[in-house]
Amino acid sequence: MRFSLRSVSHCGCRVGTLSCTRAVNDGENKEVETPLCTLYTKKGSAPYLSVDMLKRIEKLPHIANMHLSSLADYTEALNKFQHGVGQFTALQDFLVYISVHDTGIEIPSGYNTKAGTAVWNKAGKKLIEPQQFVKCQEAFRPTFYQALSDSDTDKNSGKKRAMKAVDRTLDFLDTILELHKKSERLRDVGVFGSVEGGFHEEARMRSARETAARNVDGFVIEGFYAQNEKNKQIDVEEIKDLCNKVFKILPEEKPRLMHAVWSPDQVVMALELGIDVFDSCYPWLVTERGGALVFSFQYHNNSENEREARSTDGFEISLKDKSMFEDFGAPVPGCSCYTCQNFTRSYIHHLLNTSELLAPVLLMIHNFHHYFEFFESLRSSLKTDQFLKLKTLILEQRPSQEPPK
Amino acid sequence: MAMQRTHALSFKILAECSTTKARASLMKLPHATVDTPVFMPVGTQGTLKGLVPDQLRELDCRIILGNTYHLGHRPGPELLEKAGGLHEFMQWDRALLTDSGGFQMVSLLKLAEITEEGVKFQSPHDSSEMMLTPEHSIHIQNKIGADIIMQLDDVVHSCVTGPRVEEAMYRTIRWLDRCMKAHGRPHDQNLFPIVQGGLYPELRKKCAEELTKRDVPGFAIGGLSGGESKDEFWKIVNISTDYLPKEKPRYLMGVGFAVDLVVCVALGCDMFDCVFPTRTARFGNALTPTGTLILHRPEFAEDFQPIEKGCPCSTCKNYTRAYLHGIVENEPVSCSLLTIHNVAYQLRLMRAMHQSIVEDAFPEFIQDFFDKLYPSADYPQWAIDALASVNVHLKKS
Repeated sequence: MRFSLRSVSHCGCRVGTLSCTRAVNDGENKEVETPLCTLYTKKGSAPYLSVDMLKRIEKLPHIANMHLSSLADYTEALNKFQHGVGQFTALQDFLVYISVHDTGIEIPSGYNTKAGTAVWNKAGKKLIEPQQFVKCQEAFRPTFYQALSDSDTDKNSGKKRAMKAVDRTLDFLDTILELHKKSERLRDVGVFGSVEGGFHEEARMRSARETAARNVDGFVIEGFYAQNEKNKQIDVEEIKDLCNKVFKILPEEKPRLMHAVWSPDQVVMALELGIDVFDSCYPWLVTERGGALVFSFQYHNNSENEREARSTDGFEISLKDKSMFEDFGAPVPGCSCYTCQNFTRSYIHHLLNTSELLAPVLLMIHNFHHYFEFFESLRSSLKTDQFLKLKTLILEQRPSQEPPK
Repeated sequence: MAMQRTHALSFKILAECSTTKARASLMKLPHATVDTPVFMPVGTQGTLKGLVPDQLRELDCRIILGNTYHLGHRPGPELLEKAGGLHEFMQWDRALLTDSGGFQMVSLLKLAEITEEGVKFQSPHDSSEMMLTPEHSIHIQNKIGADIIMQLDDVVHSCVTGPRVEEAMYRTIRWLDRCMKAHGRPHDQNLFPIVQGGLYPELRKKCAEELTKRDVPGFAIGGLSGGESKDEFWKIVNISTDYLPKEKPRYLMGVGFAVDLVVCVALGCDMFDCVFPTRTARFGNALTPTGTLILHRPEFAEDFQPIEKGCPCSTCKNYTRAYLHGIVENEPVSCSLLTIHNVAYQLRLMRAMHQSIVEDAFPEFIQDFFDKLYPSADYPQWAIDALASVNVHLKKS
C-alpha cells in the first residue's frame, strides 16, 4: 500500500491519499482520501447493523476496522474458508484494517508478557504471540494490520514499564516483519508499526526512531491511555508536545493512525497535530447511552443567528430524556439519514424505555451517518482552506459537562 | 339476530382442499390484503425485535401483532392516539392485529382476579388496584388502531377442569356483547370473538354456536397452546373449526411451531401467531425445513453454508453458519440476523401451503414437509392421528 501526502496546511493538518490493493479476490486498487475515519465493528459487523441495514447509510467509510481481539476465535474457520475476513463478515466491499484491541472496551492492565500480548473479548483473555499473530493475519487476509504491540502504559506508568512496552513492541515487530516477508498470503498486505512509550519522552523518542527505521507502511500512535478507565476520552492537549516531537522523527510520507474515543473537538485538534486515520468508536458509545449526535459541521452557516438557534449543550441529545416522550419531530431535524427520515423522537424514546433492540439499531444508523458526514466536511474544509472555520464551530459546541454514562 | 353491519374485512376462499379441511383465501383488511393461511409475527411493544418495517416489507410480511397489555402500559393509549395510531407510530403501513390484553394480564401479573366486571389487577407501577373491563380493552384497542382487534375473553388455563371452565365460556360470550357495544370503530377495525370452553368438546361447541349468532367478521380459537397434551389440542381445534362458519376466517391463537401450523391448516385454520420464531432467534436458533439449527454448537464452527440453501432472506444471502456461530449469544446483531431468517422461514412455509392448496396438492405438500423434518419417519403420533382425521395418512417413504 502507498500513501501520498498531498498537502500540509499552515495549521498542521495533512491531506493525503491512501492507495491500497484489496488483497483478496480481485487485487483491485482502491484510492482513499485522508483524513478519514474507519468503520467501527464488533466481531466483524458494524454494531447492531446487518449488512443490508449498514448499506442504508450513505458515505460509508472505505475501510472497516476489525479487531484481533474478537476475530482470533475465527482463525481456524477463516483458514478453511480461505476467502478472508471481509467476505466472511459480508463486508467484502470494504478494505479491512485489523487493529490489536477494540477501543471501545475496557482492557485490564498487567497481562502482557515478554512472549506476547493479552487481547480480550467476551470469552476472556487470550495471550497472542508473534508467530500465532502472523498465522491469524494469514487467515484474516486484511488490507493492512497493526503489528502486535504492547500498549499497556498510561500517564502514571513508570519509566521501566514504558521502556518495556517500547522494547517488546519492537521485538514483536521485527519477528512479524520477518515472517510477513516470507508469507505468500501476506504479500500485498500492509503492516503498521506502533509507537509506544507512555508519557516518557526518552521511551517515546526511542520508539519513534526505531519503528521509523523498520520497513512499515504506516504508524499507530498509542500507549497514552491504557483502556482501563471505562470510555476515557482522549485529551489531545495532554499529548500534543510529545506527539509533535514524535512526528518530527516519523517520515511524513507514511500515514499516522490513532485509536481513541474521538469526540469531534478532539478530532479537530488531532488533525492539527498531524493524524491521518481515526476510528469511529465514538458514535457507537453515543448510541450505547441512548444519544443522538446533533453537532453542526456546516461551517458555511455559522452566523450569529445559527449560534443562537442551537439549543443543545454539547455534541449530542439524549433520546432517553422525558421531553422526548411526546415529541413527534425527527430525532435530529434536517438530518437526511434513514432514521431521521422515517422515525420520530417519541418512537425512539419508547424503544429505549422498553429496552427494545430496535433503539440502538436506529441510533447507530443516525450516529454513524452524522459522524461520517462530519469527516466529509473536514475533508472539504481542508481542500477549500476553511478548516479554521470548522474548528471554531466545533469547539464552540463543546459540552459544559460530561455526558451521562 | 344481530343487525348486519358492514365489516372492515372481506374474506374470499380461493380454493378448498379436496382431502382435508384446508382453505386458501384472500383476506382484505383496511391496510393490506393478506393471503391465508397466514402466520403473523409478534411485535409485542410496537417493534419486531430489532427489525425495521422495511425489512418486514422485503419479506412480504402483510400483518403483524401488537400486544395491548404492553402498549397500553408503554407508551400508553393517549400517546398512541396523539401519534395517529400504532401504524403511524411504528411506521408500519400494512395490517396490524392487537390482542385484548387479558391473557398477558392473567399470565404476567401476580394478583389478577377475574370478576364479572372485568379483570382486577394490581398496577405494576404503584400497586394500586385497577380494572381492565371489556369496554376499556376495546377503547385502548380503538386508540391503537389495528385492523383486527380481539374481544376481552375470560381465558382459563387449558389444564383447568370443572365448573370454572363453563363459567369462563359463558362470561366470554357476555363480554363479547359488551365489547361489540363499546366498539367505536367497526367501519375500520374488525372485532373478533374468541371461542373458549377449555378441553370440553360440548362447551366448545356451545361457545362456537353462540358466537356464530353474532354478526362478526371472523373468529378466534383461544385457550389452547398452553400446557395441554397435543392429543387434546388437535381434537379441540378440529371441533372448533367444525362448528365455525366456513365463510369467515378462523384465527388459532398462540400457534406456533411448524408442525402445528401444517396440521392446523389441514384442520381448517387460517390465521396464526406465536412468539416462538422470533424468540428462538434471540437464543441463537435458526428454523429450517429439516429442523432447528442450534448455531452455538461446535458443529457449525466451520460450516460455510447459509442457514438454509435456497432461502432468499438477506441473512442467508450474506452470511454463513460459521460466521453466525461466532456471534450468536455475544453480538446483538445476531438477533436481528436470525429474526429475519426465522420470519422468512415461517412466511415461506405459509406461502407454500397456500400455493399447494390452490393447486389441490396439499396432501403431497404435507407428506413432503414431514419427510424433510422426520427423515426416519418417526412422525409424532398426535400429528399422524390429527391428519388421519382429515384423510391424510402419512406414510414411510
